[in-house]
Amino acid sequence: MNPEKFRYKSPEEIREEEIEAKIKEKGPEGEISGGIVFEEEIDSETQEKKKYIYIGNPYEERPIITKLETGASQEEIEAIKKEIIPMKESFEILEAMARTYKHRQPLLIEAPTAIGKTYLADKFTELLYGRGVKPLDFYCSGQTDVSELMAKWVPKVETEEEKKKWNEFLKSTEAQIEISKIAQEAEQKEKLSQEQKLALIHTKLQELAKSAGLSEKTQWRFQYGAVPKAMGTIRNPDGSFSFDEQKGMGFTLHIEEVGLAEPQVINTLLKLRGKRGQLAEEIQLWENGGKKVKSGPKFWAFFSTNPPEEYLARNEVDPALARGVVFKRMGELSEESLHLAADYYFTYKLSEKPEEKPEGCILDIYNHPEIGGEISKVVSAFHNDLNKELKKGEKGRQQKIPLTLDDMARVADALIDEQIRDKKTGRLDLAESLKKLIHFYYLDRLADQDLKETMTANFEELLNGDTGKIEFEGEVRTRKEIFDILVERASQAKEEKEETPEETEKKKAKEALRDLTEFQDFFEKDLEDLGKDVEDVCKFEGK
Amino acid sequence: MEQEKLNTFIRLLQKVQKQPNRTFDLGLIVKEPKSKMSSVKILEEIKKIATIEKITYDKLSVDEDVIENLVNIFEKDKWVFLEIKKDIGSPLLNQLKHLANYNSFQLIDYKEKDVFEMKMPKNSRLIVFAERDFIENKITYTHFYRLFGPTLSL
Repeated sequence: MNPEKFRYKSPEEIREEEIEAKIKEKGPEGEISGGIVFEEEIDSETQEKKKYIYIGNPYEERPIITKLETGASQEEIEAIKKEIIPMKESFEILEAMARTYKHRQPLLIEAPTAIGKTYLADKFTELLYGRGVKPLDFYCSGQTDVSELMAKWVPKVETEEEKKKWNEFLKSTEAQIEISKIAQEAEQKEKLSQEQKLALIHTKLQELAKSAGLSEKTQWRFQYGAVPKAMGTIRNPDGSFSFDEQKGMGFTLHIEEVGLAEPQVINTLLKLRGKRGQLAEEIQLWENGGKKVKSGPKFWAFFSTNPPEEYLARNEVDPALARGVVFKRMGELSEESLHLAADYYFTYKLSEKPEEKPEGCILDIYNHPEIGGEISKVVSAFHNDLNKELKKGEKGRQQKIPLTLDDMARVADALIDEQIRDKKTGRLDLAESLKKLIHFYYLDRLADQDLKETMTANFEELLNGDTGKIEFEGEVRTRKEIFDILVERASQAKEEKEETPEETEKKKAKEALRDLTEFQDFFEKDLEDLGKDVEDVCKFEGK
Repeated sequence: MEQEKLNTFIRLLQKVQKQPNRTFDLGLIVKEPKSKMSSVKILEEIKKIATIEKITYDKLSVDEDVIENLVNIFEKDKWVFLEIKKDIGSPLLNQLKHLANYNSFQLIDYKEKDVFEMKMPKNSRLIVFAERDFIENKITYTHFYRLFGPTLSL
């Protein structure tokens, strides 16, 4: 006898299975509708009712599901879910975010522009805190100054002229070297108390000001940078932020384009490494005499960057930083995901549809998913082809500009009210309208004229040529023909819907008259044929 | 001037809100090497359509002052025409990226707030103007073009 056959499931196991089923839930058309699950539960220790979200990758057969406490309501979670295109890559990222957040581990995702790193960091923060809450963002570039990340002394100046002088001085390499020397000196004076170190820093800053011909009496103010602010931030119930370097709860910090950061910035970020691969529990700022800033329980750092091949100079992620974080590298969006995204944009599933038909809108395509579905096939195919070309770089331009999903989103949004009328039919000329928008958003930006001409011809071929033809309702047709058929149907249905009762009566009467005329024609012809037959018979008998 | 192109550029900048966050794009006007158009002339044309103020970002500009100017102009519900004549410093770039992603500013220790956040008014827009050679050779931020939605080349 197999004991497994008679095994009773524990309540935990049953609960796990319930959650897993919700995570893997699919909609009526097989679309992913799970991935994120909201539950209210009683905390076993405090007996308080608490709100939780479960996050897992619904594309996995056995997903790892992470439970996190949330400040968002069920309605908010449902609304946030609707704004996430359920692509495989999106859930891979969300799952990685949830798992590392739970374990206080910093996460670094290296992935192409279009994959939605920034967008998902934004949505993950909303899932934790509620709609509209954004992470603290810091964008790296070759120009990033370490002091913006950590801390700096800012002179209190009154006049514009003084301000300009100070700014020029503080931006100079000489001043930056001197200021960092002051912090190092304070760090090395181990026997001094923190107050004594602060006094030393003040004296040195005044000496520096004097040597640069600036007022040595200037007062200085200490300003924390993005990292300590995120560690000690308190998010108040009204949505505002306050800061407590010792008791702050901490918040999400998103450091973007870390691949562009200079070595000194990377060295500073390494301070965030803590024990056992977790985030540091505190950091010490020598700029402030060695004062420590504690990392609150909700502090979490997420780094993102594009792959080195997207940069002009190859900037690999610094190995030391890569070792100190959970490092996830992702490839391009799959064609399947790209098409799914296009479908979401062109069937307008992601946001509220206009209540009234906007000016410039001939046909309310946002209410016709059958049209959106066909547009999405054309746009995603074109987007994919052009993106492959752009990844190689363009003639006449140094910067590489790969496409993003925003490009599609722009075309979809503009297509609502940037419509062109077909002069013959008086209806929407969808192919022409789409062509205009593809030109504006995709092709007009190209510096490489040869590529522009090739892609223009490719789009034309996709719409009207043989290579773009597909089977539609049992017949092989061009995309333009398919657009025309769908627009005609939608317009006819709309015209019928918009008829007044009198117009409907008139139309019915017209149709009845037409049927009657047709019947009369048929009857007359029949009668004529019968007459001929009779005549023939008579002739025959007479013969 | 290619008036029709400029009109389309402005119209789309005014209208298009990207799904699903409903954010507006920042616009970029690029002056090509052969073009004889000046920023003044372009600004005059835009003034016929929108209430706009100009900010010049050059070697005399301090990032923090430019950001303050942007905040002040947006507080008046106006559009901004930002002419870029020097490589973009990190503080300004941070705010441009934030505006592009969220249509809002996020500033640390600003206006007596630990984290200052301000949404760009729904009737305001930001247009950046720069010369093609300058963008290609002087801007060190390698993803400069990606900050913008519609790009008008004149």
